Amino acid sequence: MADSHTMPEAKGHNPDTDGSLPPEGELESHLQAKHMVINMGPSHPATHGTVRLKVELDGETIVKIDPEIGFLHRGFQKSCENVTWTQCLPYTDRLNYLSAMMNNFGFLNAVEKLIGLEIPERAQYIRVIGSELHRLTDHLTCVGATGLEMGGFAPFLYGMEARELIQDRVTELTGARLTTSFGRVGGINRDLPDGWADKVRKTLTRTEELLVEMDGLLTRNRIFVDRTKGTGIISADDAIDYGWTGPALRACGVAHDLRKAHPYWVYERFDFDVPVGEHGDNYDRYLVRMEEMRQSIRIIRQALDTIPTGPIIVDDWRIALPPKPEVYGTIEGVMAHFKLVMEGIQVPPGEVYDATEASNGELGWYLVSDGRGRPYKVHVRAPGFPVLAAVPHIIEGKMLADLIPTFDTINMIGGEVEQ
Amino acid sequence: MKRVLTVLVAMATITGALAGVSAAAYAVAGLAEEHLFTGASRLSNIVFLMLVFVMIIATLLTLAERKWSALMQDRVGPNRARINLPGIRNRSLAGIPHILTDVLKMLTKEDFVPGAANRFLFKLGPILAFAPVFALFAVVPAGPSVTVFGHRVDMVVATPDFGVLYLLAIASLAVYGTALAGWSSNNKFALLGGVRASSQMISYEVALGLSLIGLFLAFSSVQLPAIVGDLAVAGADATGQARYLWRTDGPFDLGLPAWGIILQPIGFIGFFAASFAETKRAPFDVPEGESEIIGYFVEYSGMKFGMFMISEFVEVVVLAGVTTALFFGGHHLPFGGEWLASQPLMQEHGWLYGTLLGTVFWLKVLFLIWVQLVIRWTFPRFRYDQIQTLGWKILLPLGLANVFVSGALVLWDPSLRALGVVGLLEIGVLMVLTMTKQESAEHGAHGGAHGAHGGHDHGHGHDAHALPSHASAASSH
Repeated sequence: MADSHTMPEAKGHNPDTDGSLPPEGELESHLQAKHMVINMGPSHPATHGTVRLKVELDGETIVKIDPEIGFLHRGFQKSCENVTWTQCLPYTDRLNYLSAMMNNFGFLNAVEKLIGLEIPERAQYIRVIGSELHRLTDHLTCVGATGLEMGGFAPFLYGMEARELIQDRVTELTGARLTTSFGRVGGINRDLPDGWADKVRKTLTRTEELLVEMDGLLTRNRIFVDRTKGTGIISADDAIDYGWTGPALRACGVAHDLRKAHPYWVYERFDFDVPVGEHGDNYDRYLVRMEEMRQSIRIIRQALDTIPTGPIIVDDWRIALPPKPEVYGTIEGVMAHFKLVMEGIQVPPGEVYDATEASNGELGWYLVSDGRGRPYKVHVRAPGFPVLAAVPHIIEGKMLADLIPTFDTINMIGGEVEQ
Repeated sequence: MKRVLTVLVAMATITGALAGVSAAAYAVAGLAEEHLFTGASRLSNIVFLMLVFVMIIATLLTLAERKWSALMQDRVGPNRARINLPGIRNRSLAGIPHILTDVLKMLTKEDFVPGAANRFLFKLGPILAFAPVFALFAVVPAGPSVTVFGHRVDMVVATPDFGVLYLLAIASLAVYGTALAGWSSNNKFALLGGVRASSQMISYEVALGLSLIGLFLAFSSVQLPAIVGDLAVAGADATGQARYLWRTDGPFDLGLPAWGIILQPIGFIGFFAASFAETKRAPFDVPEGESEIIGYFVEYSGMKFGMFMISEFVEVVVLAGVTTALFFGGHHLPFGGEWLASQPLMQEHGWLYGTLLGTVFWLKVLFLIWVQLVIRWTFPRFRYDQIQTLGWKILLPLGLANVFVSGALVLWDPSLRALGVVGLLEIGVLMVLTMTKQESAEHGAHGGAHGAHGGHDHGHGHDAHALPSHASAASSH
């Protein structure tokens, strides 16, 4: 027994007694290197919204990345089941808080499809104008933030100036900067203010000037091009497999835009182009967004020029609130108002999937109604979710510094991903 | 109109202040020589050059940078802090009270040391980062040597034989501060920043030293006062950058001065880019990289962080001073220097002459500081490996080639005129490279992203960038 105890110690290497010299084999072996795991987020300057990225680093190279969502979970779907269809609207604001009107109108469009309702032409025009305004703010923020997080502060602030101008117009139209809750089932709840169209035209002119500034600071800036070109590449096939839509998919060379593929509202009346990239890298995504902003400006200009007069909401008291004189003056008006407010719009039972082209891609709504006046189920296909899911595929094996522009240009928005 | 007037008044105030402090520096140096021991003027120069000039400019720079970036970015900039005294209660005073509030904030914030940090090294970090940059200015001559109160007064702290080598040696000490700060904080982000900083600073020291060798060859000296040179007064030949490559005859001298920027444009670009990388400011601010890894000083708070910040600004001033002395003729006027020096009034009152040329020096420094601010706020950040590529694959071969070309030219034509002609040609080529739009090449590869609606202008605003960094950035592929 005593022998079996002492034998291994006598033969083996004992660091406490054998002095400081390591055994021969250790001198020959490679330097021990450990991977470093760092947390980017949940609170990190480069994460839009709140998302945590667990990054495993080998030096500066990303070995493994694990996006973890859920920090912004607000129970959107469950909340919607407990309120009337109209009352869902404020919840939709908070999905993609940079382009609230697109969420509002997308939801309303799906509800209208479920009812089988055609909304007045003027309301469709206003929806197009509102959507494109918010597409502008969303892209401005995205492009500006891309510049900002790569160290260029000026393009961000130029973008913010344009965004604030548009935000002012949005405020005049809807009464709120971000959480617009604009539009109602069957149309729009308030008409364009007097003189608003001219103000918007001026804003667009200034926005175009600022776009030229941003373009000058970024597009041909050697450092910016070096950082974005050839980084964050995804092939068109992979992008489709992951379920990418919107500008990020178009940057891969797939000309898929719901505004052209399945025109809704009055989009087929406007003359605009769908910019398409080639390489699916950060630079193409940036260029696509820049060009989409110019196209949005074109659409808004055309819409403002050709908007027809007429009602802005359907004249159906089962869906739209009756005019106030009717509510105060007639018993039918009071009843309709009461029933709409207390019981909600009686959407016929059934289910529907409807999608609009939001700023980051296909914003899909799967709605189920059981005819109670409240949604039975509301599910959002957020464009940011598949985009975020593809981040590990894109970035693993690349450098840590590439993560920043990639995360910027795919523009995942925490609010809509986590609902 | 009011705005133009304000700007003019501000510029006059700055020039006046520089002249005033220069005059005071010369007067005090003269008095020190008179009443204390011989060489006491060097001691007063420490106070004036390193404390008064460098520190005050660096302090004002914290505000100037914010104001200037605001100007570039359609903002107002800092204007909230007020001094509660009658008369100025409701005036923003161009944001100057913000300097006071910044200092107060830094000094009164909690001085936090992370529990697992190495306390000694953690505290040593900011000191090691600050002290070397502060000591750098000691060898930079900020004005001519003149006679004040019958004594010879040099406007420089020290003139060691090894001159510029002192700069390189001390500058490389600064890396310890950053590396220690990153390592001792026991924070992964800080460690990444520290590693990035040390690799970047060490690699760029090679390019930094190499880019200056052409200049040493041209002026046959490593001492800054010798490189700045002396004017041709009283029969002596002009030396250093006080020489003219070509000049008109006559009492008023007009010509092409032998400044470093003309003799060594490539050297200048290499030096400026490399020293920019040493200061760790954008576009070389990957060690800080606030949107990626926050930086090597992420765990520092209060005045310890303030030391890192102020050392960055001191570096800006010192870099501008060194560049002025090496490449922009130091305190010499581009023309008319000899005429001015031969005026009886100037010869009679040495301090007046010194004050004038001292102001010239500091104005050049201010200009170079401005160039640095413009670069800082125009460019995005490099990626870590791109910085290494720029340093090792572009600046280093460029510097080596420059050494051989300069050496051959100096050997061929010791009057430096051949070097000057080649330098002017190089400047011309760089200008053309910078101004040309690579429209077709860029668009051929990436044109698809523009859809059918083409025709928008892409080449905008690119020409406005400062040449040096731009040229280096343009060649970084």
